[in-house]
Amino acid sequence: MLQYWTAILTEATIFGVLALGIDMIWGWAGDFDLSAYAYFALGVYMTIILTVGKAKSPVEYVLGWRLPYLLAVVIAVVVVVAFASIIGAIALRNLRDVYFSITTLGAVWAIYYMVENFTPLFNGYNGVFGLFDPMGGGLSYNTYHYYFFGFCLLVLFLVYLVVQRLSRSPFGRMVRAVRDDERAASVYGRNVFWTKYRTYLCGAGLAGLSGGLFAAYIGAFSPLDWKPTEIFVLYAAILVGGRGNPRGVVLGSFIVYVGFVEMTRYIPSPAARPELGPALRQILIGVLIILMLKFRPSGLLPERLGTDGTNARRTWRDRLWRATVVADSHPDDELVDTTGGVET
Amino acid sequence: MSATALLEIEGLSKSFGGVVAVDNCTMTIREGSVVGLIGPNGAGKSSVIDLVSGFERPTSGSVRFAGINVVGKRPDQISRLGMIRTFQTPREWRDLSVIDNVRVGRSDLERESLWRSLTSARRLRHLDTIETEEIRELMTHYRLDDIRNDRAVGLSGGQKRLLEFARIAAAKPRLTILDEPMGGVNPVLGERIGEAIRELKKAGSTVVVVEHNLPFIEKTCDEVVVMDLGSVIAQGRFDELRDNKRVVDAYLGNDDE
Repeated sequence: MLQYWTAILTEATIFGVLALGIDMIWGWAGDFDLSAYAYFALGVYMTIILTVGKAKSPVEYVLGWRLPYLLAVVIAVVVVVAFASIIGAIALRNLRDVYFSITTLGAVWAIYYMVENFTPLFNGYNGVFGLFDPMGGGLSYNTYHYYFFGFCLLVLFLVYLVVQRLSRSPFGRMVRAVRDDERAASVYGRNVFWTKYRTYLCGAGLAGLSGGLFAAYIGAFSPLDWKPTEIFVLYAAILVGGRGNPRGVVLGSFIVYVGFVEMTRYIPSPAARPELGPALRQILIGVLIILMLKFRPSGLLPERLGTDGTNARRTWRDRLWRATVVADSHPDDELVDTTGGVET
Repeated sequence: MSATALLEIEGLSKSFGGVVAVDNCTMTIREGSVVGLIGPNGAGKSSVIDLVSGFERPTSGSVRFAGINVVGKRPDQISRLGMIRTFQTPREWRDLSVIDNVRVGRSDLERESLWRSLTSARRLRHLDTIETEEIRELMTHYRLDDIRNDRAVGLSGGQKRLLEFARIAAAKPRLTILDEPMGGVNPVLGERIGEAIRELKKAGSTVVVVEHNLPFIEKTCDEVVVMDLGSVIAQGRFDELRDNKRVVDAYLGNDDE
């Protein structure tokens, strides 16, 4: 049982990294990207073929190097970012909103079918396999999983720190300004494409990194293991946790992966209808998205508002102030000092 | 009255398909002046602004801002030369706080580099803190201080107009182009906006105001440019133009046409 929970939590941790990446693209920059799962998958494939060595017939794939795992992950991330730089350059140049989404949807399906049908690339339908204990610790199967979970947690934590730092930086603020109104942002000197593009590549890099972790977790990877539509589970996680808030996104990943994806496995399916359980799970995730959008659209931990650090309290007088026409009077002196006396 | 030209528009034309929106338009805006750009609906005022600020590319003609040819440049490149424009509706960054809206207006772009945001986050935050006082002074001035930590989306229409001015004041542009700043604004706030324009001038910005409210233009502007059917039909002081036949015709309709 402990091992089972370790596996689930490892998975949630890995998808937490992916969700942080997707949140940069969608939560910060406002681009509803649908190809991030392809970047994740590409990260998995690259990591495996860079570590397991030459392909033996009838298995075939490109490269087939035998690199140390960590180096392989780094290269995988670089490849993924390079790949995303092409798709991003096409999709972000002039396309926005649904047109951007459709373009990235086209890209992810093109990649999916290409990987599935063009065998020399990643062994097509049968996929690639053979990655176990990539750190070479010589651990037993059981202990390895605990160590690997710890490793994934550490990576998630480091990624979270970096993302949180960026999120609160002038860069994060500017990306959100571009998201909220890009014409206004360009009037104030911001290069809209370049801003969105950089954010997109950061997000894709995180997707590649989570792919690198997942490669070591799952050991083998084939088109059976991923579908482009799985990205909606990640969007559910971001919605639940809080779009644009890294802490919320991590929380959401754990809630959705542990609570929904895994717990719903216990939904009994009658022997005659074994597909009922998985189908119900999809429905539950759909219901979750709808309920969140209806009742708490900004998530459990909403995006953090940049303040002047004084943590202004909302008093009834403030609300009254907001309700009045600003020009009618100027009762500055009567207002409650919302700064709490903190001045810099 | 012999200041240097800040904005020189010459022979500017723009057609959308068969429709000629701007037709051989020529005007000069002198540095340090407040210029009203008026004309009936469809005269091409907003199109000229779009062409000058880089949101549209002219079919022909030239635009020189501070001596630099800006035709073909992107809006953000033109903005970095020191030009800021507004739109007919206020465009606040809705999910940023009010103070962050002003900070983005204020902040220099160097600080927003991805690398610096990663490596010197603490220093950057410190710079934000140092500037907070200055920005709050600005916000108090525009009556936004009490709502500075609120999401900008919740502001009233008038507050959004004032936020726009606070943002411009923070950015300190050489040229400010205001596209109908009085749209949907009550008379009391209108006074405040007139004052804000004069303050911009005092702070060293040249201002171009597109507006239909002629008494406001008369009170606020040093000079008026009148457009009709895509080109400039008159330029001069307001009281000089009052009796200009072409201007009167353009506004009241000419039966001869």
